[in-house]
Amino acid sequence: MAATGGFVETDNAEAIITRIEHKSRKIESLLKQSKPVEALKTALEGSPPMTRDERCKSANWIVVHRAIMAIKDVDGLLSSLDAEYYDILMKYLYRGLSTGDRPTCDQCLRIHEKLTERAGLGCILRSLADTVNAV
Amino acid sequence: MCLQNFPCQEVERHNKPEVELKTSPELLLNPVLICRNEAEKCLIETSINSLRISLKVKQADELENILTKKFLRFLSMRAEAFQVLRRKPVQGYDISFLITNYHYEDMQKHKLIDFIVQFMEDIEKEISELKMSVNTRGRLVATEFLKQFI
Repeated sequence: MAATGGFVETDNAEAIITRIEHKSRKIESLLKQSKPVEALKTALEGSPPMTRDERCKSANWIVVHRAIMAIKDVDGLLSSLDAEYYDILMKYLYRGLSTGDRPTCDQCLRIHEKLTERAGLGCILRSLADTVNAV
Repeated sequence: MCLQNFPCQEVERHNKPEVELKTSPELLLNPVLICRNEAEKCLIETSINSLRISLKVKQADELENILTKKFLRFLSMRAEAFQVLRRKPVQGYDISFLITNYHYEDMQKHKLIDFIVQFMEDIEKEISELKMSVNTRGRLVATEFLKQFI
C-alpha cells in the first residue's frame, strides 16, 4: 500500500505543484480584492493530502502563509470556516510557529488562541498525532 | 499529557524512553516547535512513554550568554535533584526536560506542568538579577581600584 502510494505521488507531484501555483494566482487576486477570508479558505481547500514530497508541502505552505498574514479579522474568519478545516489550519499554525519569524509568530499565536477556544484541545492533539497527513 | 508504560520493542526486558532513541516512528508524535521570536524557542517532542521539552532562553548580549550558560550548566549538573531535568540540553537549546511515565505515576500532571512554567519564569528573573549584580560589583570594584589614581 505504501509502494502504490509512492508511485502515485511521483506522478502527481508535478501536477500538485502546478495546481498550487494556479491556486496562488487565484489567492493573489482575492487578496487584492481585500477578501483575506476567502483567500485562506481557498488555500486550505486544496491542501494535498498524504503527500510525502517536501516541495509540494513547502509550496502549499508559502501560499497559506501569505493568506494567514493578510488576515486582520480573526473572529470573522473562524465563524465562516467549516469545521473540517480547523484541523488543517491548526497544523499550518504550528508550522508557522516553528519558523521563528516575529510577525508570523505573532499572527499565528493570535489565530491559535481563538482557534483553540473554538475547536477545543482535540484539534491540537489531532495536529500532534497525525503523522500521515503531516503538513 | 498522556504517558503510559511501554517496554522496549527491540530488546526484551528493557524499558527505554522512546523519545530519546527514536527507533520506532510509530511510537512518536509530531514534534512541535514554538518560537516567540528569533531568540526564544521551545521544542516539545512526545512519544508513547516519554516527553522531552527543550528551551532556548533569550540572550541579549555576551554577558547574558555567559551567565545563562554557566547558570543552566549548574542546574543541569544537579539534575538528580530535579528528577525531570535532562543532564545535557538538546543540541541547539539551552536546557531540556525529560518526563517519563514513571514521573507521571509518582507526580501529579498539573503540578509537573506548573513546575515547568514556573521554572521558565524563574530562569529569566534569575538571569537578569545575576546580570545586575555582576554589573554592580564590577562598578564598585572599578571605582575602588581607580580611586588610588585620582
